[in-house]
Amino acid sequence: MAEPNIATLNSEQDVDVNEIKAVLDAHRAKMKLSLKVCAHCSLCAESCFLYTNTNDPKYMPSHKFINSIGKLYKKKGNIDRAGLEEIGDIVFNRCVLCTRCYCPFGIDIPNMIALGRQICRSQGIFRQYDVE
Amino acid sequence: MTKELDKPGFSLPPVKKEAGADKITAQNWSKRIKLSILGISPGTITVSTIFHVCLLITPIFVLGHNELLDLSWGFSLFSFSEAITDTMTLIFLVCAAFFLLRRIFLARLRAISSFYDYVVLFLAIMPFLTGFLAYHHLFDYRTVMILHMLFGELMLMAIPFTKLVHMIFFFLNRFVIVNEHTLGKGSRVYA
Ligand code: SF4
Ligand code: SF4
Repeated sequence: MAEPNIATLNSEQDVDVNEIKAVLDAHRAKMKLSLKVCAHCSLCAESCFLYTNTNDPKYMPSHKFINSIGKLYKKKGNIDRAGLEEIGDIVFNRCVLCTRCYCPFGIDIPNMIALGRQICRSQGIFRQYDVE
Repeated sequence: MTKELDKPGFSLPPVKKEAGADKITAQNWSKRIKLSILGISPGTITVSTIFHVCLLITPIFVLGHNELLDLSWGFSLFSFSEAITDTMTLIFLVCAAFFLLRRIFLARLRAISSFYDYVVLFLAIMPFLTGFLAYHHLFDYRTVMILHMLFGELMLMAIPFTKLVHMIFFFLNRFVIVNEHTLGKGSRVYA
């Protein structure tokens, strides 16, 4: 379940899968390559202060992009609102886009998270800053 | 603020740099390494480097492969002695076992591992394991040899389709595509 601070507009409405697909297609080459090159080695873990402060694998940069952008590409954009809210939880709550994460393969992790945010926002899913 | 800056005669105070700040000295090198991935995970990076060097070098300079090259194309590279390649194979297998154990026992790796990660590791290990068994004539030589060839081919074929593409794209991602972790200019453009 997504945290309560992930707000969603038109919560009864389905997400626009075609709109999501269009964004995914526009960034396919770089994103797919990044997802494929990732050796799942976890060496990026210590570069994220959220991981080093929690020691919780779900704050690892790779864990975040695999379960957000990675999931979207795997499902080819076919996701429902609840699923996208969970992705919103990852990209808005577990990453602050400080761009400090480091991957030995040069994978641009913040870029991937930022794309996740863009997709969430396009469907009216965003972080509400006045809710704890 | 912009207004102030636009006023004629206004200039920002020059940024003071410590003398020799951008010189590479022994001290700031050690600082750099400490902050690098090598400084943060020295064990894993050492094992990984040895693993990859053995993975790439051993098959090229193993005597048997060069014999075959000579037989079919009439040309061959120089070969390491069999004792050296045997040792390198053993070292490779030990490193691979380290990666396997790491994936099984570290929670952070389990969190991002799937069946596919094990398959790819298996594909990388098998040509070496069967080669080792064949060289020492353990089990049935012919069967082991056929397996050795099959796994070798499978592994090579898998490169473009699996995360083994990092063999090629490591170099492109790290050194060619421009971002702050490459030799290129330190700027990123976001989607
Ligand atoms: S993003 Fe890079 S460092 Fe992190 S797990 Fe993937 S390959 Fe390893
Ligand atoms: S950009 Fe996100 S994932 Fe990367 S270090 Fe910062 S908080 Fe962690």
